[in-house]
Parts: sequence; C-alpha cells; structure tokens
Amino acid sequence: MDKKKILEDGLLEQYLLGELDAETRQGVAAALANDMDLRAQFDALEEDFERIAFENAVEPPKKVRDALAASITDTTEETPVRTLSNTNTQRNTGFWVAASVAAVVAFGAVWMYNQWQASEENLKALETQTAALQERLSNLEANYEETASRYQQINNTNVVPLLLMGNEKSPSSKATAYVNHQTKEVILNAKGLRVLDKDHTYQMWADVEGEMINMGLVKTDEDYIILRYIDHAESLNITIEPAGGNDHPTVENLISNVVL
Amino acid sequence: MPSPEIHIALIKRLQQGDKSALLGLYDAYSKALYGIVIRICEREDLAQDVLQESFLKIWQKIDSYDADKGRFYTWAYRIAKNTALNAVRKSASLIQTDDLSVYTDKTVDLPTDYSELNGMLKKLEPHHQRAIELVYFKGLTHREAHEEMDVPLGTFKSYVRQALSQLRKAYPKGVLLWLWLVEMIGHG
Repeated sequence: MDKKKILEDGLLEQYLLGELDAETRQGVAAALANDMDLRAQFDALEEDFERIAFENAVEPPKKVRDALAASITDTTEETPVRTLSNTNTQRNTGFWVAASVAAVVAFGAVWMYNQWQASEENLKALETQTAALQERLSNLEANYEETASRYQQINNTNVVPLLLMGNEKSPSSKATAYVNHQTKEVILNAKGLRVLDKDHTYQMWADVEGEMINMGLVKTDEDYIILRYIDHAESLNITIEPAGGNDHPTVENLISNVVL
Repeated sequence: MPSPEIHIALIKRLQQGDKSALLGLYDAYSKALYGIVIRICEREDLAQDVLQESFLKIWQKIDSYDADKGRFYTWAYRIAKNTALNAVRKSASLIQTDDLSVYTDKTVDLPTDYSELNGMLKKLEPHHQRAIELVYFKGLTHREAHEEMDVPLGTFKSYVRQALSQLRKAYPKGVLLWLWLVEMIGHG
C-alpha cells in the first residue's frame, strides 16, 4: 500500500485503533513491515497513545483483581490420599463392610472427579467456541456497517453520479464517479477500466480554471475508491501514468473525462 | 508506563502457561485500560465486568499477540475496547426490551465524572481534545466521530493528526521538564 496514502488518509491511526477492514489492515501491516520510516512513525504513535492512556488512568476497585485471580486459580487440586495404618487389627466382618463402603465411596469420588473434569473441559471448549463466534459476529457487524455506510454515501440525494466513458484510446473502459458537493467526497467505481500492465496506473485529475489538480491514483480492481475532492472543479479526467503516479498529467494519455 | 522488559517477560511467561503472569499484566495495565473502559461504559458495574472479561480474553488469546507487530498495550486496548462496545450494545438492547414500569432510573448508577481528560491532552485546543476523546476514549470510529463533531471526515482526520503531532512535540519537552524537576528535588 502507498505510504503517502497511509499517512494522508490517517490509516496509521485507524490501524492502531483496530478500525480497518481486513484487506486494508493487511495492506498497512505489510507497509509497516517493509518501510522503516513508516514503522518509526507508528512506534511513536503507539508510544504517545499509551502515554495518553496512562495519563488518564483510573484505578479499578480491588474486587476486580480478586475476581480475576479467583477465575484463573487452578481448581484441580489433588485428591488427598490417606495412608492406612499398619496395626494388626482383627479383620472381622465389620471391617470388611467398612472397607467395602470406603471403596465404593472412593470409587464414586474418583468417578465424580472424572465427570467434573470432563465437564470443565467441555465448558472451556464451549467458552472458546463462544468467543470465536462473538469475534465472527463482531467482524460481520463491522462489515455490515462498512457496507451500509458505503451504500449511504452513494445512494444519497446530494450525490451526483457521473459516467466516465473511455475515448478512442480505451473504448471499452468506463467508470462511475459519485460526487457529493455537500460533504465534499468523491467515490469512484473503477471496475470497468481496462486492466493496465504493472508499470502503469490510472490517475484522476480535477480541472480548476485550466489547471489539472491531482485527485489520487485509481486501481482497476476496486469498486470503491475514495478520491480527493477538489473545490471548483469543472471536469474530472482520467489519464494513464507511470506506476506510482505523476505530479502532472500526461495529457496525451487522457482516456476519459466528464464535465461537472 | 510499565517497563518494556518487565512486560515482555510477563507476556512470555503467560504464553508459556504461567497464569500468575496475568495478574502481573493486570497490575501493570489495568488502570490505563479501566480509564478507557469506564469512559465507554459510563457505568461502574458494567466497566468492572468488562475489565475482568477483557483480561480473561487477553489470557485466552495471548498466543496471538506478536510483539513485532506492535505494543502489548495497543493489542490489549483493542480487546478491551471491543469488549466494552459489545457490552454497552448488549446492555442497551436489554434496556429497550425491559418492561418500562420496572425500569429504574439509570442516573443512580452513574459513576464519578471521568469525562474530564488529564495530562498533555488538557493543553490541546478544545476541538483537538474532543477528536482524540471520541476515537481514543469513547471507542467511536473515525466515521462515527466526524458525524458526532459535525465536520467532514477529512477535516476530522486532520484534527486527529494535528492533535497527535502537537502531543508528539509536547511529550519530549514534558519528559525533560520532569527529569529536571526530579534532578532539582534530588539536589534539594
């Protein structure tokens, strides 16, 4: 993922807070693993974040620690074993009755203990399953919220949908831009653009009084790209540029434009 | 903040199955995490349950913590925040389905006011302070928080970035001042 995009879109902060969807999260994690400077910025962010939390710490009541300690205490204590004395006693009938009862009780205790252990294991397995299900539910909820939010961003009376048809340089290409002048957001569905080789990328530009201003790079495999909103833009333009983007548009490689 | 060496040793012990290390991590991090949880829950009884549940989850999931990917506090914060948000959602849905005739006034349970923020955050401008409060201490996403503040998402993100950048500049100076004070007191 592009370092500039990560920094400008505040993805580092959102990554730290655990807000990103799985795909973006992986992109940021990969960028952090490969870019020492980005990693240093993230380390500093984490340090400040932790410091803020400690400056605003609140002492929990002692009973929470006690309850935690009790819940992790190993309850599987050894069953005490009593040693029999070696005195020479008369082994009469009473003794055998008592011994039999003791044996039954001991057997019962061992059986109960095993049952209890099995129940404990089942309970632990259930707890693990519940935790896994809860996590799945949270992920599903997060995905749903993301989808609902995207839908609201596009299906909104303030949004102007604009179709960008490819010109003679790329006649089969088409993309749809959703422009919201109130919230100043531009979203692009670029799935219909012809796939480029790895050395090139699409880039979008806003024409403001004749000056082309960069709105961002356009990936062809995405149907939801958030681009920079430019005030007073008169038209939107897509060009083909070298991979990584360009500071100025290569006008001869313009493949589509639409007037606002 | 806890010393990294001590908490790395505690995490290793916990990963190796030494449950007592969990209490060590609790002693080191519970106050910071409770500061977050109580501000999300806004109810002491719920926050206490959430804190305990969070540490049990930390214990269950400790094998998935990878120190190379970030600090332990960040990882634990995500667990505590999600646990708190789920608990608040569950609690809200229970209240909605309650019989209103037996519903007791919730304000009775409201804890001491923890809304005021401390430390360097207090020195930020109000809108910067609010932005950090919403995403760090209330558990809101950037999208929810920008609506809450009624500013565009891009503007909200820039508030967060500006606030963090000001904190970054302020902290080293703060630490130096503290060291200077300690030195002065030491020399009496």
